[in-house]
Amino acid sequence: MPDWKALVEERLASLVLEPEEKAEVVAEVATHLEELCQGMLRDGITEEEAVRRTLSRVGNWRDLQRKISAAKRREQPMKKRVWQLWVPGLLTLILSMLFLTALYRLGLRARLVSSGPNAILLYTPWLAGLPFFGALGAYISSRAGGSRANALFVSVFPALALTFAFLFMFPFSLTAELITGRPVDFSQVATVLLKDGIGWIVVPGAALLTGGLLAHALLSRRSSSQRTAIG
Amino acid sequence: MIASGIKRGTAELAVLSVLEDGPLHGYEMARRIEEQTHGSLRFTLASLYPLLYKLEKRGWLRGAWETSDTGRRRRCYRLTSEGKKRLAPIRREWAELFRALKQLTKVNHA
Repeated sequence: MPDWKALVEERLASLVLEPEEKAEVVAEVATHLEELCQGMLRDGITEEEAVRRTLSRVGNWRDLQRKISAAKRREQPMKKRVWQLWVPGLLTLILSMLFLTALYRLGLRARLVSSGPNAILLYTPWLAGLPFFGALGAYISSRAGGSRANALFVSVFPALALTFAFLFMFPFSLTAELITGRPVDFSQVATVLLKDGIGWIVVPGAALLTGGLLAHALLSRRSSSQRTAIG
Repeated sequence: MIASGIKRGTAELAVLSVLEDGPLHGYEMARRIEEQTHGSLRFTLASLYPLLYKLEKRGWLRGAWETSDTGRRRRCYRLTSEGKKRLAPIRREWAELFRALKQLTKVNHA
């Protein structure tokens, strides 16, 4: 019987993997071949024939080497995160903000929902377009191999960015008013925060998320049917 | 024997299905698949191991070195909870495909 480990080591010499990982692959393949050959010998096949048949079960050594390298290849985690999260997230944010600016320039104004002091201002033409941007972000993230959580995070990224802007802006303006000596009405500030939060974060976030969920559902359905495709 | 193009698509389902009964190492996995399909599905190492590594990278399988009673070290694969979750829809899709092919080709035992 040949030294299977030495044989596999020699045939997979050009396998581009970390030494430890390569040693594991060699040991695994060699064990498989050894057991296969021993099984044939137990069945009464001559050693020469058993070795020949065992080697024929490898297929093509170059093919095995190439496919193992491809299957084990790791992407840089940082690069992966950039394409699955930050690029599509920033793109969703920029496009949705450009859309808002364009609508504003076209003269399409926000609408008040209900009347009175607690009326909420909703930019309805903008809200109508947001599911598309949410879907686009989720699509790009999913195409880059992003998980469901990544895709949904990307789709609501503009709403998250606005939340951070709000959280930064209000304490900043409150501090400015305190320094300049202007009286601060905290109940009024809380009302404004709540109203603007609903109009600029919660409702747009829901619109973006709707688009993201739809895009992700469509993509998952498509990719699962592609996986089972013949060939 | 089934043509290689069709086999490629079924390999994933075959591996996941055979691992549903419990953890197996590569040689035993290939042997069982061949035995249970009466030789219609036979894996070469060039198709089995890249597939196992791919499924492991996707998180559907987990491989770990184990030592048998005879002292032989083998890498055993088991289905992860994610792999178990994925198996049901893949099975459904293949059943749908076989049903459709059966209707189309009017083959009785597709």
